[in-house]
Formats: sequence, C-alpha cells, structure tokens
Amino acid sequence: MIKISKILLFATLIFTACSTEDEPDGGGNGTDSFDRGAMLVNWADNIIVPAFENFTNSTQQLEDVTVAFTADPSEENLVTLRNQFASSYVDFQTVAMFDIGKAEELNYRRFLNTYPLAATEVEDKIASGTYNLELPSSFKEQGFPAMDYLLNGIGETDAEIAAKYSSENYRNYLLDVAKRINSLTKEVNSSWQGDYRDTFVNNTSSSSTGSVDMLTNKYIMYYETFLRSGKIGYPAGAFTGTPSPINVEAFYSADLSKNLYLQSLESIVDFFSGKHFNGNQTGKSYEQYLESLDRGDLANDILSQFDVVKSQASNLSANFKNQVETNNTVMLSAFDELQKVVVLLKLDMVQALSISINYVDSDGD
Amino acid sequence: MRKLLFSAIMGGLTLVSCTSDDTPTPGNTKIDTPVNYTFERDNSSTVSYGGQTTRIQMAKELVANLKDFENATEEMVLNMFANENSPFQNSELNESSKSVKSKVAASNLYFSANTVESSAIKSDFDGFIDAQFNNVAVNKDQLAEPGIPGQILDGDAVRYVNSKGLEMDQAFGKSLIGGLMVDQMLNNYLSKSVLDEGDNRANNEAGITEEGKSYTTMEHKWDEAYGYLYGDPSIPSIDPNSVLGSHDDDFLFKYLVRVENDEDFAGIAQEIFEAFKTGRAAIVAGNYQIRDEQIAIIRENISKIIAIRAVHYLQAGKNALADNDEGAAFHDLSEGFGFIYSLRFTNKPGTNMPYLSKEKVDMYKEQLLDGNGFWDVTPETLDSISVEIAAAFGFSVEEA
Repeated sequence: MIKISKILLFATLIFTACSTEDEPDGGGNGTDSFDRGAMLVNWADNIIVPAFENFTNSTQQLEDVTVAFTADPSEENLVTLRNQFASSYVDFQTVAMFDIGKAEELNYRRFLNTYPLAATEVEDKIASGTYNLELPSSFKEQGFPAMDYLLNGIGETDAEIAAKYSSENYRNYLLDVAKRINSLTKEVNSSWQGDYRDTFVNNTSSSSTGSVDMLTNKYIMYYETFLRSGKIGYPAGAFTGTPSPINVEAFYSADLSKNLYLQSLESIVDFFSGKHFNGNQTGKSYEQYLESLDRGDLANDILSQFDVVKSQASNLSANFKNQVETNNTVMLSAFDELQKVVVLLKLDMVQALSISINYVDSDGD
Repeated sequence: MRKLLFSAIMGGLTLVSCTSDDTPTPGNTKIDTPVNYTFERDNSSTVSYGGQTTRIQMAKELVANLKDFENATEEMVLNMFANENSPFQNSELNESSKSVKSKVAASNLYFSANTVESSAIKSDFDGFIDAQFNNVAVNKDQLAEPGIPGQILDGDAVRYVNSKGLEMDQAFGKSLIGGLMVDQMLNNYLSKSVLDEGDNRANNEAGITEEGKSYTTMEHKWDEAYGYLYGDPSIPSIDPNSVLGSHDDDFLFKYLVRVENDEDFAGIAQEIFEAFKTGRAAIVAGNYQIRDEQIAIIRENISKIIAIRAVHYLQAGKNALADNDEGAAFHDLSEGFGFIYSLRFTNKPGTNMPYLSKEKVDMYKEQLLDGNGFWDVTPETLDSISVEIAAAFGFSVEEA
C-alpha cells in the first residue's frame, strides 16, 4: 500500500507540469475560420423570425376563433376552435426552443406550455371569476394546456362541453387564456421585428455571452429537458420506473401528443441543418459548422441518430396516454434513442465548437 | 498490485511527450492526502452525503418490513420503495424528496440511454415485493416443497421461500446492493460524465462552490459515491474502517467486512478507503489523472466484493445441499442469487462495462431458477457458475 502511494505521489510530482488537454476552451479564442456571424444571420432571418411571424398569425387566428366561439358556443364552433387550437399548438413547437431575448425575459415558454395543468386551480378560478394570469404562480393554469382542458376535458361529449360555455365565467377564462397566448406571442415577435434581431446577429463573440453560445445552450437544453424528458421521459416514467399518463402533453386531446412530438423533433433537426422555415433551402448552422472543422463525421452521427429517433417514432401510438398505459416499453425505447443524441450534442458537438454548457440537467442528492 | 504499478508507468510514458511549454494549471500541484477522510474549506467540512444515508436507511426499513408478515402489507412496502404516502416509521425519511426506487438501475453510464432495461430492473424489485406478500406470506403456514411456497427450517431459524426455494427478502436486499449502491457509486458518481459534467472541472479548479454550500460540485459527487459505501449512520465518516468489527450496515459495507475477514482478501478495506481519500485529495488539488487512477482501484475492488460473495454463497449452498440441509442451502443460494443479480452493475476498469455481460448474468439466474429452482439445482451447475465468475474477476473459487 505505502509503496503504491509513494509511486503515485512520485508520479504526480513528475506530471505536475502537464495539464489540461481535455478541457473545453470556454475562453473563446475564436481560432476557427467559420463565419459565426453568417450563421446567426441564417438563424435569425431564415428560421427564427419567419417561425415567429407564422406563429403570430396562428395565435391571432386562435384568438379570433375563440372570440367567435365564446360569442356563439355551438358544437360546430367548438369543433372549429378545437382544430385551430391543435394547429396552433403544433405551430408553437416551431418556436418553443428559442427561449432567448424577449421570450426569456417574459418567461414566454412557461406561460404558454407548462404541463401538467393544475386543473383544480383552473376550475377554482373560473368559479370565482377573479384571477391574474400574469402571476408566475399561474404558469400551470393557462396557455395551451389550459385550452386543451377547456376544449376537451370538461365534459364527456361535445354537447356537454359546449353547454359549459353558457356560463360567462367559462367564456371569460377561455378568452383570457387565448388572448394571453396571442399577446405574449406578439410581444416576442415584435422584439424580433425590432432591435433584437440586430442585437442577436451582431453579438458574434465566442464567449459564453455571445449569441451562438447562448442559443446553443438553449437549443440543447430544450432538446434534453422539453423534448426528451417533457414529451417522452416524464410520461414514460423513465426516471421513476412508473409511467405517468398525466404528464403527457395535450393530455385531454385524443390524438395530439404525437403530432406535437413530431413537430418538435422536426424543428430541432431542421435547426441543426440550418433549414429555412419557409422552404427546403439550407444555410449555415451546426451541420455546416462541424463540417468546416473537419467534423463532418460527427454531424453525420447526429443526423443518423435523428433518423433513428424518427423511424422509432413510427412505432408510437398517436395518443401517448394510451401508449404509456398499454405498452410503455415503446415509449422508453423512444427515450433511449433520444438520449443518444443528447450525448452527441452536449458532449461531442459543444466540445468541437468550443462552447461551454452552463446548465446541468442531472439531479443529485 | 502489478496492475497499479503498470498504470503508473504507463502514465509516465504517456507524459514523456509533454513538453515544457505547457502552461501549468493552477492547483495541479502535489496532492495532500489526509490520514482520515477529512476535507475542509474555510474551516468547515466539505464532506456531505446525506442523500445516501437517507436511501440506505429507507432500504433498511423496507427490507425489515418485507419479513414482517404480521404488520406489513404489500402496499406499504411498495410505498417505502417509492417513498410515497409517508410509509416510514422514521418521519425524516417521509419528509425526504428522495426514494430508493428512483435510483435503482439509474446510473448515468449504464442506464441513461437504456431506460427499457432500467425499467425492467425496477419492475423486478417490485416483483420481489409482490411475490413476498402475494405468494410467500399467504402460504407461510405450510411446509415448502418443490413447486410449493412455504416455510423451511434452517437451524434455529424459519425461512420463508417461494415455489423455487428463493427467499424474496434476500433477493431484494442483495440485488439492491448492486442495483442501488454499486450502480450509483461506480457507474454514476464515479463516471466521467458525472464528475466532469458541464463546467465542473473549471469550477473545481477555481474553487467555485455550489450555492450555499462549502463544496464544489465535483467534490460533492465524489462524496456521494463514498456515501453509498460508508453512509450508514453507524459508520463514522472520517474513519469508517474503525468500525469494521461492529456496525449496523446491511448492505455494501457489511459485505466489504465479510470479504475483509477472509484472509485471502484481507487488506481490501484499507485499499478502498485509501483510494477514496487519495482521489478526493486529488480533486482538491485538481489532479484528475490521480483521481481517475483511484476510480479504477475503487471500481475493481467494489466489483470484486460482489463477485466474491456470489461465489461464496453458491459454494456454501452446494455444501449444505450435500449435507441434505435444504433450509441452510436455500438461504445461502438466496443470498447468492442476489449477488449474482448485482454482477450486472459491476464495472471493469477501462471498459465502461460490467465484468460479465448482462446475457451471462441472466443465464446464471435462469440456471439457478430453472424448473423447481433450488430444489433441483445440481452441484455441477453451482460449480460451473462459480468457476466462470471467479475467472472473470481473477480469483479462485477456493479463495472465496
């Protein structure tokens, strides 16, 4: 024993001068020749801004259709509104990852899509008729999950649900939720239409406060926490061993959860490849960045694993609630394939791009 | 021994190419290993592993209730496993946000992209609990026979077994040593993906501590590994080996002591403790090479504890069967089954994998439980499994 420690100690002394070849270069010397500024321009002008423009139209439509329904709560109008709701919820998946600038400041994503919904609290607030949806304590009582509940979860049949809206309190709450989704979205959209686009694009620093580093952290965190865990892992009980149907996104809608997952996945993959929001053209993004660093191999690994995730998804039921209740193993398999991309993005890609990850997902004791 | 020396030399050779224009990292200086596991920053201890102690206490109360047919119910024990609905006598455990189940087969290295298997393993543990109450307990007042659950005499003790002779509480308790303690220690907290996650290295070198705490994240992760071996409240944190002769642990530490008391393996307790101390001191000094060398020592020796006890109990079972003492044999084989279950969580240094593949381990379990299980198992089967395990870990069946 003593001998060994001596050898080790001796070894340590010899190696003192040698150090940190494994360490990510968080300081950002920016020695690579890739044009980060051009990548930011592609991200902003061809992906983020058009996605928010599209989504703003979608939430405006959602508000308008809600106004029509609350003015005349017929079964027919309910079906129309439900369709618009589903379409807007899918559109939301194209902007959810961009939690930066105004969106971050407003807690935009948390107001629009915190689930599971606190349904009892929603009912209490509807009954009392007094509430303030701007409070952070009300994240779980509004947004798409609240609309999901109010359009699908408050009655057995369409007739029963529509009948609830003879009550002014129900009409008001539904309308307030729809209006708030729209007004928050407009606010984020106008910041991108205004000064924020230039602020974002010009912040080319390769430090942790530069736009590339910041959005990359947001991108990977969205993928890991909201796509992998939120849409698949929590409902499947990947961390607890017990499936939890109530954690399914769009819990009250019959067949929406898989569509939301697929759109979210597609948006993540498109962003990786720099694909324009409107059209099939691609511009600079992670894929091209990695190629410029002779890491086309890694880009290919990531894209092939995305393909595995997509093809695995064909085994999933359109309704994740049914999926976890009947054959949860398929859901867990989805999680396992998604997790393989986490490792590639969060370790290999950020190391290749000299980006430092500044959030930690794993829970400790 | 030889391996260690070899890796030290290899390390030396690798670094020969390291030239003088490398900038020395601040903190990468001589490491200062204390006599006891005592580490401080600004005069307050940086060692903390309360979460591990909590889980060890939960597991202990759970296993005790598995055997309490008079007062315990399946629902209550399942609640203890998941820490739901305040099931524990000890109210501190009820108030904890932690649970045993959430950390079973949950290591970053083996299970983060393998939740299908993780979930199946968690279900096995649920299944042990289920069988104990719905199969064994309900038949406790009949004699066990091949294919029939019931009671069986082992010396002065009465054991309760399923239709294959397996004691569910032993299966649960011994499998948990691998599924919780070993897996979390070797494959989670001592894995690079956890120790070096995010900015852990930079923060560790800069002495940036966790919010409101005295330790850096990396220091804490290391201590959490330490806690899965030494976390029972009866074991003193600073010099755990001072209680080798008298402690209340029922899990990994207990079997470290058993192996230590076998003269063929004496010294293992000190070797593991030295490695934990040296590795922790290396983290303080920012010397990750020395840290990683200690991880290899810990992984090898902790894995060996599992393998040695697996072989030991299979052989004890074989000998008792030869004496026609089925009660004693089934008790030994039940413990052996749990240690074999635990082999899946061992970690062979340098491979990021267990010493024996999942397929092999599954095959051993099947061989043991085939047909009427322990009632039928042959000495040849017990020997062949023993020989394979011992060979994989580099000791002999006789030594165990």
